[in-house]
Amino acid sequence: MSEMWVRQLYRGVQGFRLHTAAALTSEINPAEEEFRTLELKTVRQEKRTMRDRKLTPILPPRYKRQKLDQNWGNVWPTARTFHPATVPFPVRQGYPATGQPTPDKWGNAELMKIPNFLHLTPPIIKQQCEVLKKFCTPWPAGLETPAKQNKHFPVTVSINSYLHSSPSLRDARARIVTMKVSVKSLELDNHGRDKLLRLVKDHHDPKTDTLTLVADRCPLSSQNRDYCTYLLTVLYTEAMKTEPWEHEKNVADYERYVWEGSLSEAAARAVFSARDDSPPEHVINEYAKAVVELHNEGEDDSSVSRYRESVLKLVGLT
Amino acid sequence: MSAVLREGRVILFGRSCFSQNVANFLMPGSSVRSLSTTTAVQKVQSGRYKVTRDRSRPLTYEMANQPCQIAHRKSWNSWNTTTLYEGLREPETAMDDVFIRKFMTGTWHNLIVSEVIIKRQHNMIRIAGIVQQKLAARKMYFLIGYCEELLSYWLKCPVKLELQIVPDKKDVIYKYI
Repeated sequence: MSEMWVRQLYRGVQGFRLHTAAALTSEINPAEEEFRTLELKTVRQEKRTMRDRKLTPILPPRYKRQKLDQNWGNVWPTARTFHPATVPFPVRQGYPATGQPTPDKWGNAELMKIPNFLHLTPPIIKQQCEVLKKFCTPWPAGLETPAKQNKHFPVTVSINSYLHSSPSLRDARARIVTMKVSVKSLELDNHGRDKLLRLVKDHHDPKTDTLTLVADRCPLSSQNRDYCTYLLTVLYTEAMKTEPWEHEKNVADYERYVWEGSLSEAAARAVFSARDDSPPEHVINEYAKAVVELHNEGEDDSSVSRYRESVLKLVGLT
Repeated sequence: MSAVLREGRVILFGRSCFSQNVANFLMPGSSVRSLSTTTAVQKVQSGRYKVTRDRSRPLTYEMANQPCQIAHRKSWNSWNTTTLYEGLREPETAMDDVFIRKFMTGTWHNLIVSEVIIKRQHNMIRIAGIVQQKLAARKMYFLIGYCEELLSYWLKCPVKLELQIVPDKKDVIYKYI
């Protein structure tokens, strides 16, 4: 019979310990052989102390070994969670418990949670800028002012790219391309400009005279950019062309009122020829301007009064 | 008949009748509708620990400050761009965070004494936390490498562990309650 087996047998017995258990597991004590004692209470054995673990020596914090004039960029090269033994200065964070000071940096999870910029101290930024300088080229000469830039580079293309904290770098919005052109820089004649503006309608902003083309129909931004260029080319070529049926445009199709060749001019010329007296050019021009303003901009007190003045001057009543 | 119901008491013309479930100025069988009310039962219990008689329950700073103190006295444990306007991949990131926390707690048996802090920068995941100094240094290095390697394969991102070692877990106790 093995000891273990016997011990298991008597394991559940509580309340009293049979002397026989001791007899089976160890040698019988001759002094107690005659008279067996019945022990009702279990005597607690002494707790077995765990064997002393080799206590790992707690080393002093790392900052004690750092020189005062060390290169901090070597200690903290990239963004890193706060580590109290590496950071040489004392810093506290947290709401203090009653009667306690603000929690210090040791074992402070709050300091670890927040982002720190210990990797971007001013001397390190300066150092990195010095290194980056050799990859930079000077700003091109002749492009100092925005006016010059717009003159030489009238087309602006905007493409946005998006960053996410995720394993994937795809974002559907990155394919959208916006192209802005100043219509003035296209150097179209009146007919061409009129035709272009009719073709693009809402894409033209009259305040800034810019044409905006937005393309997102292709999956890649390079494809959308090519499509924008193609659109601009097509619009320009179409504006330069004159179709044979465009000559069928009559006065009723004009988008703005034009005085030259209108009924108003015919009537005025008729009046002058009847009187055999033509007023000076500038008076006629002023009258033309007033009439054009009334038609194009609409009537209001100032424009009507201007028309009145010009008519009186024309007829010679002032 | 103006009746203002406030916390179960019916106040009628300035006189208050003591709390009953049904407005007591109405006779049974009347044709007026009434509300059945009780005292307000909307106690918030999230993240709050009960005070013990002998002030023996230790609390860390994280535990001592309730969820209403986030952004006041406490900060967030997960940092990523998913909650920003038009941020992508929010549910997947949240599930990944749950997985990382379970994995870390299970791998470091009873060793992590703070919350697991997860920071995401571009495609890098940086996991931070406070760990007790119960293991030998070699075992700790092994566990750090093991966690980083396996998590990077599971999450398809480079994973970095940035742990702080604390000699005794009593060092993170903020107060006793």
